[in-house]
Amino acid sequence: MHSQNIVLDKGAGDNKFFSESKTRLPFVLLLPSLVVMFFVVGYPMLYSFVISFTNYTLVSSGGPKFVGFKNYITLFKDPVFGRALLRTVFYMLIAVNAEFILGLLIANAMSHVIRGQGILRTIIMMPMMFAPVLVGFQFKWIFNDQVGLVNNILYEIFGHPVIIPWLIKKPLGFITILIAEIWMNTPFMVIIFLAGIMAIPTEILEASDVDGATEWQKFIHITVPSLMPFIYIAMAVRSLDIAKAYDLVSIMTGGGPAHRTELIWTYVYRLAFTSQKFALGSAMSYITVLLAVLFTYYLFRQLIRVRKVRE
Amino acid sequence: MSYFKRRHLFSKIITYIVLLIFLIPVLWLIYTSMKPNIEINTRPPVWFSKNMNFDSYLALLGFPVKHEGFGFGENVPFGDYFRNSILAALGSTFFALIIGTLAAYSFSSFKFKGRNGIFLTLMLARAIPGIALSLPLLVLFTKMKIADTVPGLIIAYTAMNVPFTAWLMSGFIGEIPKELSEAAMIDGCSKWESFVKVEIPLVGPGLAASGIFAFLAAWNEFAIASVITRTTAAKTFPVGLFDFTAEFVSDWRGMCAMSVMMLIPAIIFVITVQKQLVKGLTLGAIKG
Amino acid sequence: MKKAKLVFVLMLSALMVLGAFTLLYAGGEKEKSAGEKKAPEQIVLKCAFIGGANYEELYKSIPEFEKKTGYKVEIVFKGDGFQIDKKLKTDFAAGTVDYDVCWDHSSFFTQYIKAKGIIPLEDYFTQEELSDHIPMILNAGKKNGHLWIIPRHFDISCLHYRTDIFNNEEYKKKFKQVTGKDLEVPKTWDEFKETALGLQKILPPGMYATQFAGKEEALTGRFYEILIAEGGQFFDKNWKPAFNGPAGVKAATMLRDLYQAGAMPPGMTNFVWEDVAKNWVAGNIAMYTEWYGWYSYFQDPKSSKVAGKFDIARQPMGDAGIHSGWAGDHAFSITAASKHKKEAAELIKFLTNYDNQYREAKLGFLVTRQSVWKKIIEEAKQSGNPLDVKRLKLAQLQASEDFKTPPLVAEWLPSSDIVYPILQAIILGDKEPKAGLDEAARKVEAMMREAGYYK
Repeated sequence: MHSQNIVLDKGAGDNKFFSESKTRLPFVLLLPSLVVMFFVVGYPMLYSFVISFTNYTLVSSGGPKFVGFKNYITLFKDPVFGRALLRTVFYMLIAVNAEFILGLLIANAMSHVIRGQGILRTIIMMPMMFAPVLVGFQFKWIFNDQVGLVNNILYEIFGHPVIIPWLIKKPLGFITILIAEIWMNTPFMVIIFLAGIMAIPTEILEASDVDGATEWQKFIHITVPSLMPFIYIAMAVRSLDIAKAYDLVSIMTGGGPAHRTELIWTYVYRLAFTSQKFALGSAMSYITVLLAVLFTYYLFRQLIRVRKVRE
Repeated sequence: MSYFKRRHLFSKIITYIVLLIFLIPVLWLIYTSMKPNIEINTRPPVWFSKNMNFDSYLALLGFPVKHEGFGFGENVPFGDYFRNSILAALGSTFFALIIGTLAAYSFSSFKFKGRNGIFLTLMLARAIPGIALSLPLLVLFTKMKIADTVPGLIIAYTAMNVPFTAWLMSGFIGEIPKELSEAAMIDGCSKWESFVKVEIPLVGPGLAASGIFAFLAAWNEFAIASVITRTTAAKTFPVGLFDFTAEFVSDWRGMCAMSVMMLIPAIIFVITVQKQLVKGLTLGAIKG
Repeated sequence: MKKAKLVFVLMLSALMVLGAFTLLYAGGEKEKSAGEKKAPEQIVLKCAFIGGANYEELYKSIPEFEKKTGYKVEIVFKGDGFQIDKKLKTDFAAGTVDYDVCWDHSSFFTQYIKAKGIIPLEDYFTQEELSDHIPMILNAGKKNGHLWIIPRHFDISCLHYRTDIFNNEEYKKKFKQVTGKDLEVPKTWDEFKETALGLQKILPPGMYATQFAGKEEALTGRFYEILIAEGGQFFDKNWKPAFNGPAGVKAATMLRDLYQAGAMPPGMTNFVWEDVAKNWVAGNIAMYTEWYGWYSYFQDPKSSKVAGKFDIARQPMGDAGIHSGWAGDHAFSITAASKHKKEAAELIKFLTNYDNQYREAKLGFLVTRQSVWKKIIEEAKQSGNPLDVKRLKLAQLQASEDFKTPPLVAEWLPSSDIVYPILQAIILGDKEPKAGLDEAARKVEAMMREAGYYK
């Protein structure tokens, strides 16, 4: 990477502070980010870390009492938490991979359409502009069993009321929230992969044409390998975001019925705010964030490795 | 370009079908916003409405419309939501770009102790969802008297967007050929001048790409806003959407109308900067 | 070096702009309040009230109060019930209360007592000032021997049924054929279940005999009111959960049987209030229990397919001879943090006086002053729609005899949060009623123990 080669302050400093800036400047540049991040992320995380060892509830009178690891122990005994965690992992794995495959195929198809690329891109980006809350409301309604769009289309096709409880039945509820998630976020993948495909030198593709490669061969042997960094970055970003999934699921099913679509954050929210157990909610946040952090760490290691290989 | 000129009929058809699928919910949203409520929640469905009008939009914008009875969210303070949303989104995008670019500059141009560590820490901050932050933030912001204010939102969203901006931008700044800035320096430019004259223009596409993502993230954010905003002084669109399904209120059409209005600024913003977007993402992904 | 300095300056200025922006805003607000302080005797009453729809009509009368008393009233927050609840809870916990009068609700106020957020009101109101309110409603605002909320208007649910089904000869004949009984509006929960199961066999496909809201507090509350009617209790005297007795099992079994027989929409477990109302106005439901508050929406032919095609009846009765009557009232409270408690009480008196309650009654709310009731029932007789009068009389009857709030305990919502997913599992057939309720009772007991109700 480009780093070590910048020579700063060739002339010796007349000012003590800045003469040492060879080592300080990068930190000075980072300072605003660190300050604002500490303020908005660091402090709240410290706060809830402390709270997670107390019996603090939203309505308790008097100060919170220290209870040690009690909340964490409660958590590990809670089967709903364990299942919600597993479900979140599944949700993430399925969604990220589906979005990846769909994104790759759509981007590849779109790259062959030359005229109107700008318009196509804007159209495909429409779902990205939807607030997750809004997608939740829309899809909850689309999959409503009584008057929803999907069941109404089925009504027209079959000529009699077809009442499929999309949001209720196992595993339909889970699939339905996945569909909404995939609809909303595949465009992100498409846009990134499209950018990647555009960056592939056309000479390489033309050369492969001369060699008589089929479309599929070109896709597998040229397009996909050159997209690797894009794939990692897109998957990393999406994994992080999906691990945080809350808005969409909370509105579509609220994690229900009977915890059938419960994800970690819908559960945390209900515990912390509705059930007023803020301390327990904090403990749960902590465990989950810790897992997310480990996962992110892994992803970034991978990303850096791929980049090194490229270089 | 002869490669691209070849006919890809199959690809084209796939593209159009896919686009249609992605568009259906959008078109349906627009259509629904113009239908009377009685034709929206109904079975058998009303596919072709004869009673379409723009009443829901007029009501949102504060024009008098014929009263439709109890149960409609006509008093939704659309203007306030719009002002809050646009200020929070633009403000936080602006600050995130400045702060994030400075950080990116540091990451890509210097090698220093703890560089990877700090970089990773910033990225990890992205793994923390808004709900986990919202209540402590409310306590903190209340003490600082910025709870339920637009500046409070701007600060929160700036922090939310800095990591991604720093990441994308570091790819860009790293991409700038060193020879260019060195040449500029030899020409007598200071390091600072070369930064402004040579590097800033080159990172334009990066700023555009990061800008889009930052803007959309802030524009659509719900978890934090739902906790730290309470009044029309700071409530944003995503929080305001709930006004249409409150107790004894069920105005699906009104909600759709506000959703459409909410999409318009986002679309304008995306169209304006989308050309830079592809270029921006390309560099951001490879380097950084 | 100059260049490095410049970078430093750029960074600083970015921070400063951010800071300045914040200060400017906070400063701007301070200036405002400083301007108010110029008149030191000016008392400012701040309020957190429910907003939206017709709730806000009442606040238009506030200038009248300001003129009369010389106080200034500022509504610093408006939101729906759940938003205010969240705000109050977080404010009481964080110590960030900056208002004197708050909206309150009979289902919520015990939490605020526990959080020490509101104060007892009996010292601020004379017996005479309170006596006009319907006693059963006023009593729903008492806890630990104190009065905590002053009621504004209430709601209670009643049975809504379709006249074009229940009075239809065709349906009557078919119902007789299928069940051997006459099709009548159910008076007990047993009849309700039987009628629903019978009706479902003769209704056209896509129509359902009945429905309930199927998640969150809405579901627990519906379960709760049937439980009480059947002679059960949610908590016993010692705050131990008691809902898993025979009455609870019967109530849960009814919900499950109706669902499993297809007499309720299959999406039921994802319905909250607006969804059941939506199904009703779409004409897909034959009968169900619903709040009076939706009345004008249901009667509006522009939004409802059942306008003019339905009637109402008292909530069914259970084995204990008690009519179900899940009810609640919107009310006002004074915050503990208020510096003008006496003046705050004056504002509440004004907002709930005869004129204002009459004004609200005209908007369709069920108000709490008996004197207002007399007047509006007289007026409704002129309207020409007999249902208007029937509705008011029934509501008054239910308010004075059936008015039952959920248990007045701060742990009601946390309990509901434990109970409703299990009720859903019972309804969907994942759990047996008895086993499920036992599990829920165990969990609620553990929660109550943790909250310090018993050792």
